[in-house]
Amino acid sequence: MAEPLLAIKNLKTYFISKDAEVRAVDGIDIEVQPRQVVCIVGESGCGKSMTSLSIMRLVPKPKGKIVDGEIWFNGRDLLKLSEDEMTDVRGNEISMIFQEPMTALNPVLTIGEQITEVLLRHRKMTKRQALAKAIEMLQFVGVPRASEIVHEYPHQLSGGMRQRVMIAMAMVCEPKLLIADEPTTALDVTIQAQVLELMKKMREDFNTSIILITHDLGVVADMADHVVVMYAGQVVESTDADSLFAEPTHPYTKGLLASIPSLEEEKDVLYSIPGTVPDAAAFPKGCRFADRCPIAQPSCREKMPELREVKPGHLVRCDLV
Amino acid sequence: MGTYVVRRVLGMIPMMFLITVFVFLIMHAAPGNAFDAIMNPAIKDIEQLKQQLEHNAGLDKPLWWQYVHWLGLFVTGNWGFSFNHHVPVTQLIGPAIRNTLILGILAEVLTIAVGVPFGIVQARNPYGKFDYTSNVVLFCLYSVPFFVFAIFMIYFFAIDLQWFPAQGSTGTGPGAGSIGDHLYHALLPALSLALVNSTVYSRYTRGSMLDVSRKDYVRTARAKGLDEGRVFTKHVFRNGMIPIVTQFGLDFGSLVGGLIITEGIFQYQGMGQLVIDAVNGRDYNVIMATTVLIAFGVLIGNLLADILYAVVDPRIRYD
Repeated sequence: MAEPLLAIKNLKTYFISKDAEVRAVDGIDIEVQPRQVVCIVGESGCGKSMTSLSIMRLVPKPKGKIVDGEIWFNGRDLLKLSEDEMTDVRGNEISMIFQEPMTALNPVLTIGEQITEVLLRHRKMTKRQALAKAIEMLQFVGVPRASEIVHEYPHQLSGGMRQRVMIAMAMVCEPKLLIADEPTTALDVTIQAQVLELMKKMREDFNTSIILITHDLGVVADMADHVVVMYAGQVVESTDADSLFAEPTHPYTKGLLASIPSLEEEKDVLYSIPGTVPDAAAFPKGCRFADRCPIAQPSCREKMPELREVKPGHLVRCDLV
Repeated sequence: MGTYVVRRVLGMIPMMFLITVFVFLIMHAAPGNAFDAIMNPAIKDIEQLKQQLEHNAGLDKPLWWQYVHWLGLFVTGNWGFSFNHHVPVTQLIGPAIRNTLILGILAEVLTIAVGVPFGIVQARNPYGKFDYTSNVVLFCLYSVPFFVFAIFMIYFFAIDLQWFPAQGSTGTGPGAGSIGDHLYHALLPALSLALVNSTVYSRYTRGSMLDVSRKDYVRTARAKGLDEGRVFTKHVFRNGMIPIVTQFGLDFGSLVGGLIITEGIFQYQGMGQLVIDAVNGRDYNVIMATTVLIAFGVLIGNLLADILYAVVDPRIRYD
């Protein structure tokens, strides 16, 4: 396989305070190939958002800290860059869009000001050129009346339109990697589909790789080339999208898939994985899923299972499968 | 915006009317009048003289008549005579307004100029050494009663160091009455008031800037590749100033209260001194004129704050 665009190696992002060390991301490895869509799946608090913020080096300071690991992007380890060099990467080579389009845009600046700001930062352009480019980009992402919208404020737009604006803003410098942190969670279903289509179009037209963070397996089925399932700060399963749905292997992944409501089978009670995620400040010694796992053995609690290849390209962190 | 301002200004008219009625009634409910002071039993026929003076001033007429009479004259620009100073009210008020405006504007400018940057510096490095120590100092300053603080300021800067005059609004020597002279006399009282008021503003600013710097759109700004300086000036500062502007508008009334006390302590010849003097001397025409002007000033100040609010926050639309 070709050189990956992004290779995260043994990344550890902890939140360190006086009396606790919360291991939000605890030694994960993820690779993203050019033009690939990688979905990171997992429930709230599993570390998926912290993984994406770690790539951008935007982990909330001063408590959040990347304590170990490497993030290779385009031949450079991002964790070794100076803050100045990193600002040249953000918004230019790697962009990010967030869950809440309502709060992710600055309420007191016009849409035009917010988009041109990226261009003026990373490209040698005059304000007029940047505004023309912003309008062009807004039209491209399907915002109607783009030349008027640039003079309007975020509160004048609907949620779907704002997320389009966010995408336009993220894509305006044609980054190699787009990180989308639950971009559709806050939107209603029809708008969700449109935004996902738009992201596919971005990949086609700009050759952008996408890391899509979601807890919605429907979105995964629609978008993913490769899926990484995270649980309690670790990768528990990593494989291509087809085999994930065809042969989910880790008990956690099986549980996730079983809890999707189905139209064909009528069930009175929807399956849910029993129990809750262990406290990230005090993880157990062995497998972190053991307490909730239907097939757990005493040995599971003794020793942390390694991520191992069960089939070519299919990694699972479970010794029993 | 234009129609909004016109509507607000028109709305002030009934407001001002009610204020005059209210002040007029309270004023007359207070015991005694301006001419009680001449009651000296040693003077022959003093009772008759007093009645004559009251008759001349119209005080023997029914209250409603007195009010209507006053209002009729007031709106045509005839604000009457001062009972105690025996000069037209306008002649007293002119210099008093000028002095109070100098003091008030200077105090507000200093309050903002000290409080806001201080809060910003604290917010840029929260929970650090500077933040903690400066908070203790601010809290002490805030807790000291203003008149104690002001007297300390007079002792230190006017008497000990002799940098500023201890009292008054103008000097006596050459150059008295010039702009420089006025500012020189206003600076110490303004600074005293501003230092105390700025503690509140720096607390608000610190809180507001910290609050904004945790917002999603600030994270977005960082994700765009902006450096910290730019993130602050373009994204944090402007949003963080919105509550400060609101506070500024709300504070207008209490600023007037602060000015009256300040003028008293520094023997500064402004509206505050004039109004206290007039109330003590039951100088009805002066009381009415000063309270109307002060109320008008507060209403205009609130209007300006509302307009400013719309300028800093595009979500606020008045039409």
